[in-house]
Amino acid sequence: MQVLIPSPLRSYTQEKNEVAAEGDSLAELLQNLEQNYPGIRFRMIDEQDRIRQHIKIYVDKVLAERLAYPLQGSKLVQIVCALSGG
Amino acid sequence: MNSSLSESELQRYSRHLLLPEFGLAGQERVKGAHVAVIGAGGLGSPLILYLAAAGIGKITVVDFDLVERSNLQRQIIYIDENVGQPKAAQAAARAMELNPDVQVHYLNCRLDVQNAFSILSPCDVVVDGSDNFATRYLVNDACVLLNKPNVHGAIYRFEGQASVFSFADGPCYRCLFPEPPSEDSVPNCAEAGVLGVMAGVIGCIQATETIKLISGIGTPLKGKLLLYDALSMRFDTLPIKKNPDCPICGSNPVIKTLEESLISCRGKDNEMDAKIISATELQNELKAGKQLLLLDVRTNEEVALSKLPNSKHIPLPELPMRTAEIDNKADIVVYCKSGGRSMRAMQFLNEHGFDKVRNLTGGITAWAQDVDRDVRV
Repeated sequence: MQVLIPSPLRSYTQEKNEVAAEGDSLAELLQNLEQNYPGIRFRMIDEQDRIRQHIKIYVDKVLAERLAYPLQGSKLVQIVCALSGG
Repeated sequence: MNSSLSESELQRYSRHLLLPEFGLAGQERVKGAHVAVIGAGGLGSPLILYLAAAGIGKITVVDFDLVERSNLQRQIIYIDENVGQPKAAQAAARAMELNPDVQVHYLNCRLDVQNAFSILSPCDVVVDGSDNFATRYLVNDACVLLNKPNVHGAIYRFEGQASVFSFADGPCYRCLFPEPPSEDSVPNCAEAGVLGVMAGVIGCIQATETIKLISGIGTPLKGKLLLYDALSMRFDTLPIKKNPDCPICGSNPVIKTLEESLISCRGKDNEMDAKIISATELQNELKAGKQLLLLDVRTNEEVALSKLPNSKHIPLPELPMRTAEIDNKADIVVYCKSGGRSMRAMQFLNEHGFDKVRNLTGGITAWAQDVDRDVRV
């Protein structure tokens, strides 16, 4: 499925703002992303397997609040990162 | 304030008055309004100009900084000869040149726990154009505690975000992002760059939402996060729900004062305190002969410009594949341009069995300022 990468994480995706990844759950999708773009998962998920407080992940525009969130039939994953620039 | 319009104002705002949704009543509401703009930088520049042009009766500009030449690529309220001058004063002067009918006050200071309530209390709307998380959380928390709408905007590289928080029982910024990341874990524009016009796009969206809130027209960007990606020219709107467990606007808030807000924002930094080293401390340790592995995680282009002596270079994106090149028993000091990427590198190394890792706070920029002014950054 299509995954939109926010600017602060694009250094891991060779500056691509959109990549493809697979998985039946959010956890699997993030693992798949990690295989292709090493280091990216840790920027989103902490040591206790929680989504970091400054990251939000939306699946087909619905907020996914846990890694077990199912992705069957989903098309679009949007990763949102808090920005501070002004 | 007398909100009725003079003959001159009727001419100036005639294109607003022609809008049936806006009309004389809307313009009079705009004239009677008081807006605080926090930050007179990239976002603040178009904001202040458009709010003044629109006839906001009173604008308070808060910024402690001076105009730098590198600001002029996006901070269009300033001109070249303003370099070195206080931003707030220059922005206020420019806005009043644009529209002498509005009052533009300026405060040449940083918004902080001590002054936030007194500055924001008299305002109808607060617009956040700041450039750091500490101020963004302070603005949010003060707005929630004062029950003021917070028109939010933020930019980074080619991306922007906007929303209206703390309005009509809608969510606040902490409902979306409950706690700030450590300041170094998300790079800022000074480190990572920003396309100048991004500030114009998002700043104008903030100005639009401010004028809508005051005039009472349209549907505010409440409960939604607007995302803008300039590279793909993609706009998206994502829902934000009010969080019943929000630490400040939830049903059992743990933040009830700005002092508590400050503590919540500092918590992450304190965790990191033991893992940082300043440029002068690093210089002293090197002079004393301490064996250190200096790890440079900047890009090849940055390293070509300058580097610290005897440092090992691994660009941050390559670090996960190249940890085998680093002695995990070494006393490591990681650095980048200003400390953001190296903080992430340190966190990554800590996660992968490297215990003795410190981050050069302020990066090679701090080294150039405090130790060796011949280093180019």
